Amino acid sequence: MNIKHIVLAVVLPFLASSTMAADSPAELNDLEMAHVAYTADNIDIQYAHIALGLSSNPKIREFAATMIRDHEAVNAQALALLKKLNAQPQDNFLSQSLVDGASDIIDELTALRGEAFDKRYAENELAYHKAVNDLVGNTFIPNIENSEVKALFEAGLEIFKAHENHAEMMVESLK
Amino acid sequence: MTVFTRVTTAIVFFVMAMTAAASNTEHVEHVVEIVAFKFVPNTLEVKVGDTITWVNRDIVPHTATADDFSFDTGQLKQNELASITVTPSLSFSYICKFHPKMKATIIVE
Repeated sequence: MNIKHIVLAVVLPFLASSTMAADSPAELNDLEMAHVAYTADNIDIQYAHIALGLSSNPKIREFAATMIRDHEAVNAQALALLKKLNAQPQDNFLSQSLVDGASDIIDELTALRGEAFDKRYAENELAYHKAVNDLVGNTFIPNIENSEVKALFEAGLEIFKAHENHAEMMVESLK
Repeated sequence: MTVFTRVTTAIVFFVMAMTAAASNTEHVEHVVEIVAFKFVPNTLEVKVGDTITWVNRDIVPHTATADDFSFDTGQLKQNELASITVTPSLSFSYICKFHPKMKATIIVE
């Protein structure tokens, strides 16, 4: 084995491991977590647009408008931060999984009308925000390395907890 | 006491009295910050003629809207502000229209 072969034998496994995709949420890097959060925001914006298209309940429509307004504001901050850091969010298994799951929910929601739609939309908003808040609070924030990214996730969590409370109120009012 | 001293003393007392009267009617500028989905301070004591200014420090837009819609700042994006002048008929409680769990109180003395 010559020097070239020895160097390759040492370097190749390292390169392979450094580019290996994470397979658990806690192993995602900051840019992958940013991608997940951006994807989750956009999914909720899609749900909200469906609600505005299909619901005539003023409470549902006000909530949906708030989701669009708030998630677009958070996404704008996230993009501004990434630009400042000269970084791009990185697609990953969790973002893809969120998109796949959302596709099923969108199929389900668009098949409903009236009170059935309102109830399902409200229940999904509550479940969705609970799940995302759990992920962000217990898995992402403790593992984020960049302090500015972490601060934005912490601010985002405050917002999404308020959404969870609002969704809970909406679910109760529709019972 | 000379005439000049008496006149000077009278003027000084008059100016002091006018200053005291002016300070009694002076209107106060109050600031309510919107931070982490809370109005801070949550309860505000004001007098008729005072000014209240809301400043939104959150990423997401908020409003300060009276329960009876007697005042409404409209949408305030991050770091935007809006002011109202306190009137006798001002509502006691207000919310954020977008986030109805956000509630606060104004007490008009």
